[in-house]
Amino acid sequence: MSKFSWKRVAAAIFAATVAVGASHTAFADKDKHEDRVATAAAYVKHVFVIVLENKNYNDTFGTSTQDPYLQNTLVPMGGLLTQYYGTGHVSLDNYISMISGQAPTPDTDNDCLPGFTGTIGNYNNVKQTGVAPQGQVIATGGCIYAKNVPTLPKQLEAAGLSWRGYMGDMGNDPARESATCGHPAIGVGTDNTNSAEAPSAAVPLGDAYATRHDPFMYFHSIIDDQASCSKHVVNLNRLTADLKDERSTPNLVFITPNLCDDGHDGSGTGEPGTTCANGQPGGLASADAFLKTWVPKIMESPAYKKDGLLIITFDESSYTQSVSTSSTGQTTVDITFPGQTCCNQQPGPNLSGVRPGSFTLVSTPTLVENIVINGFGGDRIGALLLSPFVKPGSTSDTAYNHYSLLKSLEDIFHLDHIGYAADDRRTHYSVDTIGDDEDIFFPGPGRGHGHGHGHDFDYPSDPHFKHPWF
Amino acid sequence: MYVPSRSSRFHYRKLAITAILVLLAVNCFLRGRHTAFVYASQADAVAAEIPASTLSALGRKIFFDASLSASGRMSCATCHDPAHAYGPPNGLAVQLGGPEMDRQGARAVPSLRYDLNRTPIWNKEFISNPAERTLEGNEPPAGGFGWDGRFNSLHDQAAFPLLNPNEMANKSPEEIVARLKRASYANDFRKAFGEQVFDDPSKAYADMRIALERFQLDDPSFHPYSSKYDEYLDGKAKLTAKEKRGLALFDDPQRGNCATCHLDRKGVNGSHPLFTDYQFEALGVPRNPEIHANAAADYFDMGLCGPLRADQAAERAYCGLFKTPTLRNVAIRKVFFHNGRFHTLREALQFYVQRDTNPQRWYPVSSSGKVEKFDDLPPNLRANIDVTDEPLTRKEGAAPAWSDAEIDDVIAFLETLTDRDASPAVH
Repeated sequence: MSKFSWKRVAAAIFAATVAVGASHTAFADKDKHEDRVATAAAYVKHVFVIVLENKNYNDTFGTSTQDPYLQNTLVPMGGLLTQYYGTGHVSLDNYISMISGQAPTPDTDNDCLPGFTGTIGNYNNVKQTGVAPQGQVIATGGCIYAKNVPTLPKQLEAAGLSWRGYMGDMGNDPARESATCGHPAIGVGTDNTNSAEAPSAAVPLGDAYATRHDPFMYFHSIIDDQASCSKHVVNLNRLTADLKDERSTPNLVFITPNLCDDGHDGSGTGEPGTTCANGQPGGLASADAFLKTWVPKIMESPAYKKDGLLIITFDESSYTQSVSTSSTGQTTVDITFPGQTCCNQQPGPNLSGVRPGSFTLVSTPTLVENIVINGFGGDRIGALLLSPFVKPGSTSDTAYNHYSLLKSLEDIFHLDHIGYAADDRRTHYSVDTIGDDEDIFFPGPGRGHGHGHGHDFDYPSDPHFKHPWF
Repeated sequence: MYVPSRSSRFHYRKLAITAILVLLAVNCFLRGRHTAFVYASQADAVAAEIPASTLSALGRKIFFDASLSASGRMSCATCHDPAHAYGPPNGLAVQLGGPEMDRQGARAVPSLRYDLNRTPIWNKEFISNPAERTLEGNEPPAGGFGWDGRFNSLHDQAAFPLLNPNEMANKSPEEIVARLKRASYANDFRKAFGEQVFDDPSKAYADMRIALERFQLDDPSFHPYSSKYDEYLDGKAKLTAKEKRGLALFDDPQRGNCATCHLDRKGVNGSHPLFTDYQFEALGVPRNPEIHANAAADYFDMGLCGPLRADQAAERAYCGLFKTPTLRNVAIRKVFFHNGRFHTLREALQFYVQRDTNPQRWYPVSSSGKVEKFDDLPPNLRANIDVTDEPLTRKEGAAPAWSDAEIDDVIAFLETLTDRDASPAVH
């Protein structure tokens, strides 16, 4: 049973007053130092995000035998969000939603590959025609958002907090992309990072960095200041040094493994013809190996031990496949993405006629291959949270998505809500913030609790609470 | 790779040292794990202790040493002549070798300039999500040395011409080492690899191939970047109107579409392009009767699926695919495509744009008037030939992607890719 605390009572009264008298955003503006979450997530000051690729929840956290480290070692140590959803298909729109709350343009929903649903494609500017509610950019297409589109990194900077994107393989081949802030030249056509480069004498490890998995590269507010961008978006190799000291560990550490280590490439079996370009098995097998390398490093870091939260999730879920053969011998393969959403997700202003959608990729007398995307969501992927403030072996069935993640990070860092992380009272739109999830996090000081005068601990003897925020 | 602001010699030495350090680190990192491919020949412990310059100097001597062949008249440089951008000195479809220098090789000789350092190991990226695989990366295989990519390192590749009965024709590695032991530079070899190096022929054989590899990777003569196009990229020369038109035709994805595979733009670090993406492609080049082996109706050189390459024989979709070569110094060549079917650049370009519009010009026509397109593949594999990428999509009788005048323009552009020191091959 919790101990009585006058501080908690005062905090609750204050929070109730604010809730009546001000919007959530105004709350943040008025007092950024008040706790915005109801649990021990309020103590978090360093967030580590690892984004993997393209796997179903039921595989990742259920039937797959390729990720034993994740399932058998990490899950029992952390909190599993069983109803966490991606926000779109295919990759890029998910990453963009995580750091900006923006819904897709007709190009970002297809990784900016020209000739599908978008008319601009490649590494070109978003062609903006207006702004919809919740700051949603109305666009006919394009991929790089204008400078005035808000992003989590810029919010962090404005609040005096630090961030870095750590990108696997970035700059391994300096002719392909720079080792910092690596992206194609704007408007030159094909993005050469769409395919992985195998090892050569000049590039002994190969280069499987993919710009489309690096969300920071799609905002002029980040890439236009080359010096700042180069400081903030770096090769993953940099992380080891940054983890050594709390002062060198950014408040937000965003990690994108290379195309093999994130499970995007390869079947995970190692069978010939199904590997990554560098010969690794890929799939959940390589993702699991990546986690086994990096998660212990993160968990041993002073910043994590003191006030860290590590979130491991995926960009989007995978597909179902059905095969049928007609009486004439024509085989039809339907690759179906349900496109399911949670959390009252909105499609945004740009997907009319785009999602749902289908493409016929192959049509011959013997084979028809269709891709069917039945919704605008990214389907169920799950997320695992690891932290001194998370109850080991806990699970939560509350629904979350990448917009929830953004809102959660903004709440942890006391920032405004942007894009679809923000509420819309007119439509009663609101996503949950993960920091309020009492199934996952230990109890904290309570919403609205100030930081300048210490916290009350519900379980002062609990070893997890040895390192509060201040 | 060439970076304009640095001297090539310094750059490659630095690159070599870095590569060795990286490989050693990777070796430690991967110990006990699933082994990833890396370009690993430099990892040889002995070679790592020998300065790259020493290895390269030895490799040069080996590269030019005809005494290492059974005929005594053939070295690496016989076919890969530095005077011709390390390409063939003549217009033979395939070069002659063997003990009597009268046996045909299997394929046309490629230039060794530029692309060796950046040739990736043979690979086929597999994207597990089928939608993304189709959208982004259902690319053909890429990389490896040779027209069929069957060697992942130059020191593996070197064994082939040394032992091939149609080329240097040594009967065994021991025979090669015995010849090496008699070479004028044998003492240099001992100084580099140890006085006892010839006591262990297998080690000496490996060491000589490492030296050969180092020479080909490091020697500046393989990467002069002295063409007019390089000067143009550096702002030191201007293309003529004709050359500019040719470049535009080369780039235009709706017409020539050449730059899709023969990459012609600077890298993001300002490095100059190598005019290849190392990917495999099935062009359907006509059968070449100049190659004696083609007299046998059941013989087909199918590239990636064999018969020379054996490990991909089961992949029937790979039959007919050959690796995209660099186009640097293409204008000095007198032999084009893997089987040397064409002997002028004009004819090679005409084939690209008229393959489908005028097929009777390129392929046999039966007595009934039927054109046997793609006749250098068995009929059941001809569906592998590319008919989806421009300019290979046209219908018979349609207008070719380029006119004769436009082909002149493209030739003018391709001539800007010739290095200053490269002499045209002779017929």
